Amino acid sequence: MKPAPLDYAAPTSLAEAVTLLADPDRDVMVIAGGQSLMPMLNMRLARPELLVDLGRVPGLDYIREDGDWLAIGAMTTKRAVEESAVVRDRQPLLHAATCHVGHPQIRNRGTVGGSLAQADPAAEYPAVAVATGAEVRVAGPDGERTIPAAEFFVTYLTTALAPGEVVVELRIPALGSDTGWAFVELARRHGDFAIVGAAVTVDLDAGGAYGDVRIVLFGVGPTPLWAEAAESALRGRPPGADLHAEAAETVRAAIEDPLGDVHATAEYRRHLAGVLVGRALTEAVTRARAARGE
Amino acid sequence: MTAHTPKGLDDLPVEEPRWVGRRVRRREDAALLTGRTEFIDDLVLPGMLHCAILRSPFPHARITSVDTTAAAALPGVTAVVTGVDAQAWCNPTRTAPDGWGTFCLATDKVHYVGEPVAAVAATSRYLAEDAIELIEVDYEPLDAVADPFAAMQPGSDLVHEDKGTNVMLQRVFNWGDVDAAIGDALHVFTESFRWNRVGANPTETFGCVCEWDPMSLDLTVHGSIQSPSSFALGRASELGIASNKVNVKSHPHGGSFGGKGGARGATITCLLSRKAGGRPVKWTEDRTEYLTGGGSQAWDRHYEATLAVDADGRATALAVTLVDDLGATGEGFGAISAAKPLAAFTGPYTIPVARYDLTLVATNKLPASPFRGMGPPPHFFVLEQMMDIAARGLGIDPAEFRRRNFIQPEQFPYTIPSGNEYDSGSYEEVLDTALDLAGYEDLRKRQAEARADGRLVGVGVASAVEPGVFDWSAYAIVGMPQTGVPEGATVNIDIMGNVTVRVGFSMEGQGQYTLVSQLVADWFAVEMDAVRVVALDTQSAPPSFGPGGSRLGVAITGAVLGACERLTARMAAVAAGLLRADAGDVELHDGRFRVRGKPGAEMTVAQIAGTMLARSDLLPPDIDPRPEATYVWTAPDRTAADEEGRAKSYLTAAQAVHVVMVEIDAETGFVEILEYALADDCGTRLNPVVVEGQTEGSVAQGIGVALYEEYVYDSDAQPLTTTFMDYLLPTVNEVPPLQKGAVVTPSPFTPLGAKGCGEGAIHTTPAAVMCAVNDALAPLGVLAREVPAAPNRVWNLLRESKERS
Repeated sequence: MKPAPLDYAAPTSLAEAVTLLADPDRDVMVIAGGQSLMPMLNMRLARPELLVDLGRVPGLDYIREDGDWLAIGAMTTKRAVEESAVVRDRQPLLHAATCHVGHPQIRNRGTVGGSLAQADPAAEYPAVAVATGAEVRVAGPDGERTIPAAEFFVTYLTTALAPGEVVVELRIPALGSDTGWAFVELARRHGDFAIVGAAVTVDLDAGGAYGDVRIVLFGVGPTPLWAEAAESALRGRPPGADLHAEAAETVRAAIEDPLGDVHATAEYRRHLAGVLVGRALTEAVTRARAARGE
Repeated sequence: MTAHTPKGLDDLPVEEPRWVGRRVRRREDAALLTGRTEFIDDLVLPGMLHCAILRSPFPHARITSVDTTAAAALPGVTAVVTGVDAQAWCNPTRTAPDGWGTFCLATDKVHYVGEPVAAVAATSRYLAEDAIELIEVDYEPLDAVADPFAAMQPGSDLVHEDKGTNVMLQRVFNWGDVDAAIGDALHVFTESFRWNRVGANPTETFGCVCEWDPMSLDLTVHGSIQSPSSFALGRASELGIASNKVNVKSHPHGGSFGGKGGARGATITCLLSRKAGGRPVKWTEDRTEYLTGGGSQAWDRHYEATLAVDADGRATALAVTLVDDLGATGEGFGAISAAKPLAAFTGPYTIPVARYDLTLVATNKLPASPFRGMGPPPHFFVLEQMMDIAARGLGIDPAEFRRRNFIQPEQFPYTIPSGNEYDSGSYEEVLDTALDLAGYEDLRKRQAEARADGRLVGVGVASAVEPGVFDWSAYAIVGMPQTGVPEGATVNIDIMGNVTVRVGFSMEGQGQYTLVSQLVADWFAVEMDAVRVVALDTQSAPPSFGPGGSRLGVAITGAVLGACERLTARMAAVAAGLLRADAGDVELHDGRFRVRGKPGAEMTVAQIAGTMLARSDLLPPDIDPRPEATYVWTAPDRTAADEEGRAKSYLTAAQAVHVVMVEIDAETGFVEILEYALADDCGTRLNPVVVEGQTEGSVAQGIGVALYEEYVYDSDAQPLTTTFMDYLLPTVNEVPPLQKGAVVTPSPFTPLGAKGCGEGAIHTTPAAVMCAVNDALAPLGVLAREVPAAPNRVWNLLRESKERS
């Protein structure tokens, strides 16, 4: 369990990092917190020729308010997100999701940018990014660009990052003060990657029926699953057990080819996805009503 | 000379014991907690090379060629070994049953994924791993034998063609007229069960540093070795050298829970040292190696059980059929786990007759190894589910049903149908203690309320016996002919009066150095921290097995007290001479040798020792002046097995009752433990802190195997659980707080009355958790027959119940 031979570089500026990453003649990988990559290196599942460590690049570790958005630097640790009062107040869904990422030891090392770039289909951050309509700011040889989260996750462990590009920031909208939210996941043990999880936000209309709803599942396919059909079926209808059961069925039907593994067959995953959507909607509606003083 | 070791704490030569029986902090802990204990991977020897092992990716394949040219040419590589070297220099691995071994490196074919095929010694582990990637092996894949029932069929593909069968052992043991008892019974319950592969997972995997002296052909093995003397014999046998040429130096290690056999890797590392001209070679098994190719897997079992019960609710016969999938070879000694239930076959109950229909089968999976508890935990899972099925069938509360069937205190010593003798017990008292702690009636009330709300809440009450102080005779049926397991200790007092104890095992985590210190400190009335405990290598140590089979606490107590007694007798003779008294009138008390009836005529232990070593002019004639004595303890009155496998084997029988409340999420099948209470009786508690620590850890492992852990293979015998992302150990989040109670019924057969308790709770926990799960499922009319009760599996049952209704 030792990595294959590799070169290691620790650039001290973003420009230098991008130059190293953009080398067309070498297989280059970025290492941030190393929580996913180090085991892959040790098992020789990842065999880069050059490893570029972002640990010494300044200016990538921050959490800032930017109007109705939060801007979080790519090298910000999960622990910093978890402990951030700003995140807790303005983006409680992200805060809740963060508490599900591994264990404190992992959150002390694992970074926001690392989670996004890793694009593990069972991970929490990609789902939250899609559920909140977040954007991923990236830097590359041609400068910077911003990619909507819904377009960033391409397939299993694959993102829209072009060769030479690196994640520099997560831009995530603050949740509206009346928005209800829920983050639920089922994992075999506390801190494991989820078998299935769901991130949900709910705005109720003046009459208490569903207004804007966002439902994103993870662990069920190669990327976070945005359950748009279930969302539109909810809009304009009052929350309730029967409706949620209907939403659960719609979500189950939307899962094309769920993963099957030693912990959950495809069929069981599909079942759980529906259960979680029902639970998440109920929890999110409760919060939305509470926000309105109901 | 026979030592008459104290039977109780009152018999120690002190007014009041200060250490034994008290809550004493473990003296091992300071070094462990500050990272100063030297584990094997910390050991660096001059010129040391590093081993990496190339392993088979196929469960079953013929090897047509192995080309090591490129690996050998890689700078930094010093030696490469393959099956050709193993065939030239080694014997096949020792096994149980006998004759199911292979060479340490595959020769003509591979038998499981993870089987070693070649190995490299290089100047770093990195280089060694680079080098094994350069070894080219041509495989011709064969159909894998993955299912033990298919493997038993005539015409099945064979794991070992030369054996002509995959059945390693098939025998039916009838202890009494079981057919008649079942025929006569009013109620007969039969069920089948599946216990999936689980196993030991110490934080530290196996590691060793091997040095082969090319001149003398002496072999030195440093390692994280649980049983140094057995390990030395194994290497001598496999490497074809005399047993006195092998010296094993075991390092402090974690676990091992049975998983640190490490046999193959060590033999391979020895070969590499030999081929590297005697340079020391280190092999540190990594986690993937451990999970797929190490001592990690045990108990892959298919059960059918029948319990007969009479009109009064008394169990009258137990019949158990076990098909045990031992994997590719017998080298892991997993077979002894199938034999050990003989030591406690009928658990804590007075079931008078029993049958064991036992089949051991070879498949293309990793050879099974021992695991904490060594076989009874799955057996008790089955027995306790049967007890609950019967109680439910008869409409009797499960606690009451057990009470009705318990062996009573006056029946001890009690011989069970499978031949072992239980020493003592107070089973109802343990039951009542556990029920009180749990608030059993309240739990039942809460359960009724929860059920009324449509929730799936269950309460499990299970009891099991932990056989303690193992004897080989329990395993006679799988090819272990020995009786008696000696454990020795040497107690020495230096010229300044300081006491040193030399033992034959290294620190493994159960606090035995603390125990040794407690015993000697109370015997000679010195401070516990003043006692030095030294681990000897196998060439210097007295006969020793070390930890295993819940034996060492009792065995080392016997050895240390025996040595103390011998030393005391010798010193008393010296004191008698100095004090001008008869030796028979001199006694040791509170650290002083005194003459009975002559107040003031006394000398300290240090004075006597000093005199022995520095004042020969004062010594009586013919006295051996060493203030030192050795004693080798063996469990008394053990018997060899008869033709039906019956023997007085394990010396002690501890017993426990666990009460567990669980809730099953009706939508997802997830099981949550709501309450956990237990009471146990392991005789005299020599250090309650250590007993409780063993209990807590063992409950955690029991919860792991009941709910989380499982080695999964696909239908082609490919392992699917090769990392800790897939093989799930319980963490602090999954193990609930425990309420623990104790009953103390001393053993009449052991020094100080202590019973083996190291394996402990894992005998009872899986049974209790599964009883609770099945109690929760009972209203739905479904039964969880399979361990672990993983959520997917439980959900399948929930669905089955829905489809039925």
